[in-house]
Amino acid sequence: MADTLTVHRAGLATVQDLGRFGHSRYGLPVNGALDQHSARVANVLAGNDEGAPLIEITALDFSCTPSTDVLIAVTGAPAELTVGGVRRDQWEPVSVPAGETIAVTGIRLGLRVYLAVLGSVETPSLLGSCAPDTILGFAQTLRGDDELALRTHCPPIDHPVFRIPLFRLNAPVAHFGDSWTIDVTDGPDLEEFGDTAERLFRSAFTVTPRSNHIGLRLSGDVPRRTTSGEPLSRGVPVGAVEVPAGDELLVLHRGRGVTAGYPVLAVVTATGLSALGQARPGQSIRFRRRTVADAVSAHRAQRHAIHALKSRVRTAFDALRIPATP
Amino acid sequence: MGGDIVIADCGDSAIVVKAVDGDTARAWHTVHALADAFEAARPGGVYGIVPTYDSLLIEFDCFHTDHTTVRRALRHEADRLGERSFPATRSRRFVVPVVYGGDHGPDLPLVAEQLGLTEHEVVALHSAAPLTVRCLGAPAAAPMMDGPAFPRPVPRLASPRISVVPGSIAVAGRQAVVSPMPSPGGWPLLGRTPLRVLDLDAEPLAPYRPGDTFQFVPIDPARWDEHAGTPLAAAHG
Repeated sequence: MADTLTVHRAGLATVQDLGRFGHSRYGLPVNGALDQHSARVANVLAGNDEGAPLIEITALDFSCTPSTDVLIAVTGAPAELTVGGVRRDQWEPVSVPAGETIAVTGIRLGLRVYLAVLGSVETPSLLGSCAPDTILGFAQTLRGDDELALRTHCPPIDHPVFRIPLFRLNAPVAHFGDSWTIDVTDGPDLEEFGDTAERLFRSAFTVTPRSNHIGLRLSGDVPRRTTSGEPLSRGVPVGAVEVPAGDELLVLHRGRGVTAGYPVLAVVTATGLSALGQARPGQSIRFRRRTVADAVSAHRAQRHAIHALKSRVRTAFDALRIPATP
Repeated sequence: MGGDIVIADCGDSAIVVKAVDGDTARAWHTVHALADAFEAARPGGVYGIVPTYDSLLIEFDCFHTDHTTVRRALRHEADRLGERSFPATRSRRFVVPVVYGGDHGPDLPLVAEQLGLTEHEVVALHSAAPLTVRCLGAPAAAPMMDGPAFPRPVPRLASPRISVVPGSIAVAGRQAVVSPMPSPGGWPLLGRTPLRVLDLDAEPLAPYRPGDTFQFVPIDPARWDEHAGTPLAAAHG
């Protein structure tokens, strides 16, 4: 029988990856991890491909137990991570002996924690991805007593006596605070908002509870469209900042429908979208205007940091004879 | 033949192309022909291509490519389209049985009232002539069609429904749609087809593509079971 990861407390957890790419022409949203940076880093720290299936834990406590020795990495929002009751570090690989319980509790400042297991888990996929799609009704949402089949195991590697953390890999840790600064570039329909467009940058906005993977709704002093007329439905990118009606901004995230009819005031940058994927209802957001060139540079710097981490992980794992992911 | 286009950045990971011909049919043809040509060129780093009416969204990973490269590739394909006329993709016809009104089309009376028509006249106009699919849109592969020849645009519902059942036949503005999957929706519902619109295991995902037509055919509610669950497929001949 295959080795498994048995879920105890499921909270709001799902098997996730980076998204279902290449189907926008069929009207399918990309979906995937809301905080792409943390998801990528978790997988790299666990010796996996950046896009391997991993567990996305949202807001609530989560625990599970592997039936064999495994190596995991936990990233994303700050939380208490324990293995067999002993505190362990996020953003580092962690060895877990068979039968010991992994618990993630007290998620704070952000909303989502990512748990990757070396070798990843078996999971159903649709059109090449395991990412949940609420419209298609596809998701591997975890429940208590669920058993995820593990693809490989990893002999215990931490110190048998002192239990000291074995790794210091200096992963690029995401910043978490009480409020967020989110970078945006100008949207294609900026002019339609006239002088009111600058309101986007003048004061802070508050994340409302009506926010999810499709989009975040923000309250505050919203810009107003100064033109009228309904544009034809057209493709809108993830990150589009729209003003549908009323007193809220709508910022589209990875579950957004690919077409929409509202003018696009600004577009959240790739790095900004990972941060926004962590914003909790009630938290405050300030937008910061960036050029496209600066936004691309920031994204590339973040991805290069992950690539550099990947080579440090490979070196450390080779030295410890940790098997490469099959 | 390709028409005039304007290319603009749309954030750090997307570019939007707008056809500026002025003529809606030509603009639609331009963005779809450009989408086909660009997709066929398999540009690296690009993961999303969304042609609609007069616009084309290109999504990419700016770690693997950049705006300059994508713009250049789009210009190249657009120039090639300008030089030669592409053979038009053969338009296929889908015949879609619909039970209008009642529980399946709860907004039929409202739409009739708004248009100043009888319910029978609304159904007759909706099923009078084949409607052309212009693009696949949200949610999930919904065929967005040019609407029937109603006397004026149909207003959206004041309060969108939390969930619309698959197969629902809806109209809004000058557009018509069939909902392939359960989803929230603010478009008034005229009826429902018993056909299975989308098969998630099919390749390609949706049997229809832009340029195809849908001919709606009113059926008696008693005939629902005859068609229930039958996959939507193009008519032969």
